[in-house]
Amino acid sequence: MSRASLFHEQTARQRIASLVDPGTFQEFLPPPERVMSPYLPLLDIPVSFDDGLVIGRARMGGKPVYMAAQVGQFVGGSIGEVHGAKLTGLIQSAARDAIPCVLLVESGGVRLHEGSSGEIAISEAMRAVFECRAKKVPTIAVIGSDIGAYGGMGILTTCCDFRIMTEHGRLGISGPIVIEKWMGKQAYDSSNRALVWKTSGGKTKFLLGDAEILAGDDAGAIASAIEALLEKSRPLTLAGLKSRHGDLDTRLKKFGKTSDPHDLWSGLGIKDTPQASLASAKEFVALAKRKSK
Amino acid sequence: MEKFDKSLSSRPFAWPKRTPWSLAGVVGSGNLEVLLEPNPKSPGKLECRVESSIPGYKDSWIAALDDFASNYPAGGIKATIHDQGADPIVVTFRLRQAYGELLKKSS
Repeated sequence: MSRASLFHEQTARQRIASLVDPGTFQEFLPPPERVMSPYLPLLDIPVSFDDGLVIGRARMGGKPVYMAAQVGQFVGGSIGEVHGAKLTGLIQSAARDAIPCVLLVESGGVRLHEGSSGEIAISEAMRAVFECRAKKVPTIAVIGSDIGAYGGMGILTTCCDFRIMTEHGRLGISGPIVIEKWMGKQAYDSSNRALVWKTSGGKTKFLLGDAEILAGDDAGAIASAIEALLEKSRPLTLAGLKSRHGDLDTRLKKFGKTSDPHDLWSGLGIKDTPQASLASAKEFVALAKRKSK
Repeated sequence: MEKFDKSLSSRPFAWPKRTPWSLAGVVGSGNLEVLLEPNPKSPGKLECRVESSIPGYKDSWIAALDDFASNYPAGGIKATIHDQGADPIVVTFRLRQAYGELLKKSS
């Protein structure tokens, strides 16, 4: 895959096609089936044929995968009842068939217009992810677009075994505008893109260990990262959780009072922040020399 | 919302044995999605269904769709559009894009 096609500029269907073995993607509930939101028309909001989620089965390097891709442009990639049911069904199928599940995430979280159904759908999807993890079926989240993973989708993403991010991706719970609304513009200026990406972007999340892999913004790099994880899973144990809580405690002690994200970067071993900001994913990984976890 | 159906005369599309569908665009601000599907019942018509979030532009819609129906053999096709305020030029572009995809899938 050449640099001519930037992953973050692709549509959901193009992203799937660019990652899987050519011609192997079989879509479940494709657009002609018209499984669409029953709520949006009641609010005079246009619906989409796939409710903002493309799901199906494909092969990567000859191996079967279940794959989902969210459509960020449709109501922010948000999860309503249908979107959520499709997502849950796909992850449950992965658990049942012991086939790895890859989620191409691009979502602000629960669709507020379908609040309760969306919240329930997210928790059902999380349960399905944990079913996969209990059965050692790999669940891999890829965050490679500006919308990123926020709200319930941010939580679901962190429930997966692995996270692959590009520097365009963002990961968090409350989105930048929400934080600004609650805390004020002086505390967090959501229009400051450098600040937003330095606090929730792919490079920072990789430094912090919240994303296991930082990949370049092209399908080739992302596909190889996924393929390397297709046979790996991370057991969810009490000891593992406690150790993770320990890490978070250390992070809070070390950076809890930090207000400048550059201090976070230098505290995590980045010597030359401006250089690292401009570095490619590969260069950044080399600069970071992150301790393996 | 503005919702309407419109049937427009068009030369028949050369369907292959299989019956593919094609999709272009997404439902986002200033954009639309269009789904093209086979509609063997009326081989000489492009059957259109439009659902737009912006009311009051039915004449512009029909002009854009009719332009497409007379420029391309699109008879026997059903076009369903979910729109969120796309300009007429985007409407034409998405129709052409979906049509190109349909031709590719049909060959």
